[in-house]
Amino acid sequence: MKTNCQPTISIEDLPFPIVVLDKKLEILRCSQIFFDFFELAHSNCQSLTLKEVIGELPISFSKILNRKTFLNKELKEFTAHVTRKHELKWFKMVLYPSQKEKCYYLYFDDVTQKKKTIDLSLQAERAARIGSWEVDLVNHTVFWSDMTREIHETPRSHVPNLETGINFYKEGKHRERIIEVVSECIEKGTPYDEELILVTAKGNQKWVRAIGNSEMINGKASRMFGVFQDIDKEKRASIEYQILTDRMRVAVESSNIGIWDYNIIDNVLVWDDNMYNLYGVKKEDFSGEVAAWETTIHPNDKDRSIQEVEMAIRGEKEFNTQFRIITPEGSIRHIHGQGKVFKNKHGNPVRMVGANADITRIKKVDNRLRQLLNITEKQNKNLLNFAHIVSHNLRSNSSNLSMLTGMLLDNTDPKSQEKFLEMIRISSERLDETVVQLNEIIKIQSDQGKNLQWVKVEPALKNALESINAHIEETDPDISIQIHKELKVYAIKPYLSSIFLNLLTNSIKYRRTEEKLKIKISAKTISNQTIISFKDNGQGIDLKKHGEKLFGMYKTFHGNSDAKGIGLFISKNQMDAMNAIIDVESEVNKGTIFNLCFTNKTD
Amino acid sequence: MEVNKVFLVDDDEIFRTAAEILIKSEGLTRTIEQYKNGLDAYNKLLELAGKINELPDIILLDINMPLMNGWEFLEELRMAPDLINDQVHIYILTSSIAPDDLNLSKEYGFIRGYITKPLTKADVNKMAISVSNPSRQI
Repeated sequence: MKTNCQPTISIEDLPFPIVVLDKKLEILRCSQIFFDFFELAHSNCQSLTLKEVIGELPISFSKILNRKTFLNKELKEFTAHVTRKHELKWFKMVLYPSQKEKCYYLYFDDVTQKKKTIDLSLQAERAARIGSWEVDLVNHTVFWSDMTREIHETPRSHVPNLETGINFYKEGKHRERIIEVVSECIEKGTPYDEELILVTAKGNQKWVRAIGNSEMINGKASRMFGVFQDIDKEKRASIEYQILTDRMRVAVESSNIGIWDYNIIDNVLVWDDNMYNLYGVKKEDFSGEVAAWETTIHPNDKDRSIQEVEMAIRGEKEFNTQFRIITPEGSIRHIHGQGKVFKNKHGNPVRMVGANADITRIKKVDNRLRQLLNITEKQNKNLLNFAHIVSHNLRSNSSNLSMLTGMLLDNTDPKSQEKFLEMIRISSERLDETVVQLNEIIKIQSDQGKNLQWVKVEPALKNALESINAHIEETDPDISIQIHKELKVYAIKPYLSSIFLNLLTNSIKYRRTEEKLKIKISAKTISNQTIISFKDNGQGIDLKKHGEKLFGMYKTFHGNSDAKGIGLFISKNQMDAMNAIIDVESEVNKGTIFNLCFTNKTD
Repeated sequence: MEVNKVFLVDDDEIFRTAAEILIKSEGLTRTIEQYKNGLDAYNKLLELAGKINELPDIILLDINMPLMNGWEFLEELRMAPDLINDQVHIYILTSSIAPDDLNLSKEYGFIRGYITKPLTKADVNKMAISVSNPSRQI
């Protein structure tokens, strides 16, 4: 089956793998390189068949065998081949028909490297979801890569063109933008790189990055090319992040929270705008050093706050504290500070980030609430006291009255009746007295902090002494007054006299009969406090036993029949109403000292 | 039933006088000893230590009194239970209607009852029944 094929140059010497085939693709001749190329022993090529060398023939080759006529154009095929070293090789085979010789030249080219590179880039395209495209502006043809199609979710049969390509962009600003940049790219050759929303053939919206460029020939674009990247996932995440950041920013701005960032190593403190507002400091006045922050802190809070920052850096305690600052205008603000320390990979603290919030208003409300709570607690205590009085003192008198009137009615003996009537009189007088006392206490308590004025102490004391003249004459005590004539306290005048009177009466009442009564009244002033002391050498009182009840209502301690247990209670209430303090030192059978401590108003 | 002796412990003289008349007129006893505070009554009990026959049958005890109040008196008795025996019926007799006082009285198991003033004939008669029938409390 050999034909008369007469090549003009020696095929055998050609420096590339080539074989000459007859119409039935039988090998006629081959180049020497061919043997090396396929790692074959140099032998007679006519003993080889093409199938033996390259394996199964491509379909297009097989068709030649069935043809009646000779092929009139070249054929290109790729084929893989496993070498004897078990390497996969890829070849490009080009089959040239030689009309003159009526034979075929089959040329082999090793494209393994190219194939690998293409495979890799395809893989990369797939992984990064990047597709390519090209528009031939002269022939008006458009090429889309597989990935470009996939991004657009179009079927393989879809034939793209420039206009339908643009229509994939979402109507509105996205489409307007792509038209704008594409037009400019065609007119001026300006490349573009945009992030836009695409509506796919299936109606899904997705974010893509569209990059385009053009090739200008003689100032006219002949070709446009570019890539598409599906950035939907990343874009949505970043939009989500942006929304969160915006929301955070709005929250931070509206909540008046300042953010600070302290570089521990370089000792640089960075503040956001809110921090400057919070501290009332101008940006240009702040040096960015921690020392600058420290100077703003209230002196009383400074050491503690700095220590707390240091403790946080040392990792001993989380930074979460409150401190006061003094603004350049001199106003005091309460700040709540919180922070977190960041460490480097060696575990050393390098950075501290935190927030400051102005809690002055909350603080004020809090203080007001505390004040109200205190008042409420005090009122409650007072109410309980009243309940006690109503329960005990009013009832003890009223129950006597009810008992006695019953007995008066039951008993008709005039002598007994007279006795009962006398007892009824006493009981009703005591009831009246109790009501008067209650009234007085209510008045004192409602006077709380009112009618305070500067009162001279000495005249008030003289006044009290005069009103108990009779008692003094009877018991003849030694009274020594060591008070400066001009001494004044910030008080309510009648209360001051009333307290003096009560303390003097108590001293006389509870004197020791075996010893002459001595009373010493003195005063001292320490800074803005004046203390007036009443000291006697009387019976004294067991403070361990009675200390708590001493100023209580209707508490009596000595068993005297005239003790009512109201005097010290009233004195205590009067002192409270003047924002002053009464306290006592005493020892049984030695004497008692009552100290009246007044805080003088500073104007 | 008439009892031998009643202790009336109260700092209010008017009440003591009125109560004595009422108790005697109801025939609960012919002997009432008045004490103006807990301490005086306690001292008397100390005096009577060992003389069972001279112990009072009933102690009527006020709460608010100087020197030793009703609670302090009861505490002393709790520490020295030998001073009295089961025959001595103790009643708290007070003008206090505070729930705290009533609750506190329940902590003393040996108290027979809690009476709020005014003292009435009915109260006295209940006491008489209770003394003759020791299981009953008022």
